[in-house]
Amino acid sequence: MIKNEELLIGIKDALPIVLGYLPLGFAFGVLANQVGMTVFQAGLMSLMCFTGAGQYIAIGVMQAGGAIFTIITANLLVNLRYLLFATSMVPHLKNVPPGLATLLSYGLTDETYAVAMTRYQNHEATTAYMTGLNITSHIGWISSSLGGALLGTFISNTDKIGLNFALPAMYICLLVFVVGKRSDALVAGISATLCLLFGFIFPSTMANMSNIIIATVIAATLGVVIDERY
Amino acid sequence: MSDTSIILMIFGVSAVSLLPRMLPVALLSRWEFPQLLQKWLSFVAPAVLGGLAALSILAPKGYIHISPGNLYLWACIPTFFVAIKTRSLFYTLLVGIVTMALLYNFAGI
Repeated sequence: MIKNEELLIGIKDALPIVLGYLPLGFAFGVLANQVGMTVFQAGLMSLMCFTGAGQYIAIGVMQAGGAIFTIITANLLVNLRYLLFATSMVPHLKNVPPGLATLLSYGLTDETYAVAMTRYQNHEATTAYMTGLNITSHIGWISSSLGGALLGTFISNTDKIGLNFALPAMYICLLVFVVGKRSDALVAGISATLCLLFGFIFPSTMANMSNIIIATVIAATLGVVIDERY
Repeated sequence: MSDTSIILMIFGVSAVSLLPRMLPVALLSRWEFPQLLQKWLSFVAPAVLGGLAALSILAPKGYIHISPGNLYLWACIPTFFVAIKTRSLFYTLLVGIVTMALLYNFAGI
């Protein structure tokens, strides 16, 4: 019974993520279609890769006539941040069998990470919760990609209905949730500033998202220093 | 790009996007993290969210855009307020999305 409840909570927690994925996945489907991918290929890519930024990069490189190697290298860079995310999640996963935890980490994204870490602040991580959260989000991503690839030409502007603000709104809310003490708020502020600064000075870090990695490493280190002192 | 190339590309991207997520969990699950490292890791989530929030608002199209013409900047004000007051993801999303739709259709910027 408790298992079912955890699964349901996971699914419920995934709904805002699905809402945010709608326009993003849809746009991916439309673009994939334009660049010559079939509906099946677009769906397969969303099923096997589940990397918003990475999939957009793939489309961009294909459009420019670039090589597979370029796409894969860029994707490696874009996804490196997950090494950090996944590692920071490991200490919370004590009650999830390692094999299952590994398998379920397939569904680790910026969004599922943020939602899960917020929950793990005061709840144990469970297999059922991870399953509900990650798989529901993934289904949302796949189906919105398929939707975009299928109906791409009919709906062109999700800005009109404000859906493009779903993910920013979610980040804002989760940021409010994860900030528990002063040092957390300081770390978030430092990281945000550094992220923008790096992105401004080295625009290429915006595209491969390495600015987030650098900013996070520096800000978390400063966080430890600040916390030790005060 | 040919169909074979596309499928090859998808498999390649799949490998490089899934391995960074799954490897740490597979390799480190049985490892007891030292205290200091745990503390460092506990700051990763606030740092990541700070970065993501800032980028999604101040660089919504992939390049930094800090000006009154950036609707995301305006929409984030009531959104932040509702997030702090209600601590509810649902209401935060609702207010954020509705504000954005109103701004987009009526602000005329």
